[in-house]
Amino acid sequence: MVLNQFVWLVPLLPLLAAAWIGAGYVAGWNRGESGERQTALVASGATLLSLLFILALDILAMLNGAPGQLDFGTWLASGDYRVQLSFSLDALGLSMATLVVFLCFISLRFSVNYLHREAGFQRFFMVMSLFTAAMLLIVTAGNAVLTFVGWELAGVSSYLLIAYAYDRPTATANATRAFVTNRIGDAGFILGIYLSFTWLGSVEWPMLNHGVDSIETLSVGLLAFGFLIAAAAKSALVPFSTWISRALEGPTSSSAVFYGAVMVHAGVYLVIRMAPVFEHNPMLMMALAALGVLTALYGFLGGLVQTDVKSALMFAVTTQIGLMFLWCGLGWSEFAAWHLATHALWRGYQFLSAPAHMHMMMRPNRPLRGWLARQRWLYTAALQRFWLDHLADSLLVKPSKQMSKDMQNFDERIVNRFIGLPGSASAVSSLAQWESRHRGDTRVEGDTGDIGHGRGFMGRAMERLASLFGWFEEHLILRGGSEGLLAVIQHLGKYVQHIENLLVQPRYLLLMIMATFVVIL
Amino acid sequence: MGILSLLLLLPVLGSAAIILLPAGNGLLIRRVAIGVSGLTLLLSWSLIGSFDSANPALQFVEHVPWNVRMGTSYALGIDGISFPMVLLATLLSFIAILASTSIRDSSKGYYMLMLLLETAMLGVFMAQDWALFYVFWELTLIPLFFLIDRWGGKGRQMASLNFVLYTMGGSVFMLVSMLVLYDGMPQHSFGMAEMAAAGNALSQHKQLLIFLGFLVGFGVKMPIFPIHGWLPLAHVEAPSPVSILLSGILLKMGSYGLIRAATTLPEAVVSMQGILAGLALFSLVYGGLLAWRQSDLKGMIAYSSVSHMGVVLLGIATLNQTGLTGAVMQMVAHGLVAGALFLLIGLLYERTHTRDINDYSSLMRSTPRFAFFTVLAFVGAVGMPGTAGFVAELHAIVGGFARWGWVVVLLSIGVMISAAYAIRTIGRLFTGPVSRKMQGIEDLRTPEMAAAGILSIGILFIGIFPATALQMMSASIIQVSGLFAGG
Repeated sequence: MVLNQFVWLVPLLPLLAAAWIGAGYVAGWNRGESGERQTALVASGATLLSLLFILALDILAMLNGAPGQLDFGTWLASGDYRVQLSFSLDALGLSMATLVVFLCFISLRFSVNYLHREAGFQRFFMVMSLFTAAMLLIVTAGNAVLTFVGWELAGVSSYLLIAYAYDRPTATANATRAFVTNRIGDAGFILGIYLSFTWLGSVEWPMLNHGVDSIETLSVGLLAFGFLIAAAAKSALVPFSTWISRALEGPTSSSAVFYGAVMVHAGVYLVIRMAPVFEHNPMLMMALAALGVLTALYGFLGGLVQTDVKSALMFAVTTQIGLMFLWCGLGWSEFAAWHLATHALWRGYQFLSAPAHMHMMMRPNRPLRGWLARQRWLYTAALQRFWLDHLADSLLVKPSKQMSKDMQNFDERIVNRFIGLPGSASAVSSLAQWESRHRGDTRVEGDTGDIGHGRGFMGRAMERLASLFGWFEEHLILRGGSEGLLAVIQHLGKYVQHIENLLVQPRYLLLMIMATFVVIL
Repeated sequence: MGILSLLLLLPVLGSAAIILLPAGNGLLIRRVAIGVSGLTLLLSWSLIGSFDSANPALQFVEHVPWNVRMGTSYALGIDGISFPMVLLATLLSFIAILASTSIRDSSKGYYMLMLLLETAMLGVFMAQDWALFYVFWELTLIPLFFLIDRWGGKGRQMASLNFVLYTMGGSVFMLVSMLVLYDGMPQHSFGMAEMAAAGNALSQHKQLLIFLGFLVGFGVKMPIFPIHGWLPLAHVEAPSPVSILLSGILLKMGSYGLIRAATTLPEAVVSMQGILAGLALFSLVYGGLLAWRQSDLKGMIAYSSVSHMGVVLLGIATLNQTGLTGAVMQMVAHGLVAGALFLLIGLLYERTHTRDINDYSSLMRSTPRFAFFTVLAFVGAVGMPGTAGFVAELHAIVGGFARWGWVVVLLSIGVMISAAYAIRTIGRLFTGPVSRKMQGIEDLRTPEMAAAGILSIGILFIGIFPATALQMMSASIIQVSGLFAGG
């Protein structure tokens, strides 16, 4: 099929749109309000093209059957490690891609009006295009490494959009928190890729799914565990759940696709994609189901105590995601895929209409059932989001901070002194330096200044050696050699001059002539 | 008349034309000088098209008997080692003349001498007869003596005298060696090829004695550690354009001569290999440390030249293909880098009238273009990847490692020291507290920027696409290294 050969255009088009908008902003051809039209046109145009392309592929697939794995040659090769530029266009990949690009397109169209005259209009559209490309890459990529590329790009664009209002400290702090949490998942992903390479020799999805039959159950468990961590972090399953409620700082339309409809489902997609691997190990299936149940409960209880629309929606999303993981854990991955698609569409709509949600409310919330309402401790726990944040803080953040402080102390007290870097305490801003010089003070502390002076152990050694060489150069080569040469010549010249003076006197001339005669005779 | 003779003749004709011009019209004189050197530049660079880099033999050969009884001849020719030097010489001469805006008094004599100097330098690289080589070698002294003595800085008399004494002293040894070699030949000839054949046939002991003479002669010029006394003085005191030529090309004459002498007396070089490498590594560290100690900017670049020429000597001492490639490459790279540095520092000195590094600060604000080009030149001096110096140092290290193993780690230490003073200088010059004295300094003018730009492009081009330059040299270098492959 000719069309299949161009499937790489699907993720590439939004990526090009992002690059175009970025370049345009740097070069200044789409800045300001006048550039909004062009920006929106480029971003949504590229996404629309991708959408049409995917739809065409869908129709072809319906007529002729899905094309399956497509290989466009080697992307990276080093020794036995080989990463193909391949795409998985099976039923799952195609339907996910259609869903993703459709939702992204809708959300982009929505944002054209929603973000009108916002300061970061171009930035928003650039990151959204980048995100669209990333998500399309995740769902169409034919191997784990390409998926991981999209996975990371999606993480970065999520970070950029949470911190969309980067002048607000909460937005940037939450963005960092979300990003760092996602990095834990990335570590798991990399572990999975590494183990697939070593044990299976390939990272292509079909190879991965079939290859696990040949290795031990325990190994499969470890391999799949890496991917499970990745999926759990991206889809905000229980130990990682809190980042997603912090992620709502971004503009509503981005929240809709990122956390309502698209990105949050990436973890579910990964588990469905790897269903044969997970099914290989019953322990993992149980872990999936348990995580799903826990997350669903967390989402349900947490959602009950939320007071604003977006947060309530967010907890509803968490609940549904938990359910999807439960289905996967029970082995119903096809059902999970259907759930994913319908949920994504419905939640996307809900998030986009969230700003107007209060107007659409016809009746008050249903009161809680009595037995649940009586559980005061559950109320507190739900309000505190089950202390997951505190747990992470005291288990990970605080020890890391303390360790880094210790490292810094070690650096400042020992390493810096040894290699001669000025410690941070003695660093002086240039204004202060200037002022103190202006007042006629001697050199500011920490600025030893003079040429040829070293700091620290190596610097001192270098200084000693250099001054030794300097002495040698000064005394023996310059003064002794060059000037000495001149002095010797001048000295000799004086002697010769002396002899010459004597010779020109008549008596010595006569003597010379007589001597000559004596020799001749 | 051959094209090489034309190349030699052009600057001479130019200086003759300048004699006829009225002394009062400085601008006209300058334009004529720029035109002539530009024409020479174009002519030499047009040879690239017809130069066959796959051919290791001499090309564009001209041979006219000069004194038949003595066996001397007017023989010119270029190969893959001398051709890059010729290109470098015409380029740097052009840039030096372009950068001579500060020479206002008696510019007639100045430009005349500069053009004569260009001819002499080109002659050294093209001569294929030792007698002719020696004539051109000595001919470079005369214009240089006057250029330093007349237009130099405070200690110029001392510096020029010193320079001439040292070089003459060295060339006496060279001359004696040549005459001994000449004397020992059955067919009396000064032709390089004939002398090489005769030299190869001599016993190792004799070769060694003769080579020592050459080593002193060329070592003074290069310079090698204990006989570099003329260099700091001459570089510091010479006017900046002359410094460009001094460190850009004059030093390369020494190393070029050494390569030629090595092919003439291969057994001697093989037996001295270790000593040469020791001298090279010591020069490298010694020059670097002294450069680090200098607060005079020109002094710093002068000592860094000692350090960089140590890399050349090390490359020559390896006597293998990689090392020799590194040596020739470093000759080109250092020519470009030192040229650029002396050019920029010279221009800076014209504006601030101080060479003390402590007087400078925060130039980034007032002179961003200076900052850009100077940083680039210093980065090239350190041999960062992507600059010509990196290609050269890498070859020298690889070649040296193949021969001596881990000892060449000293070269890396030399590179580290050069990074220390380069970065310190960049920091001092361009960053730091704002000082009132350094405000309002004029930035690079367009012609100055063009000169600096050409050199920077050269540094980057060779760094990024080294294949073009390497290809030009490779055939000849394979031939030279082939001489030592057996020994």
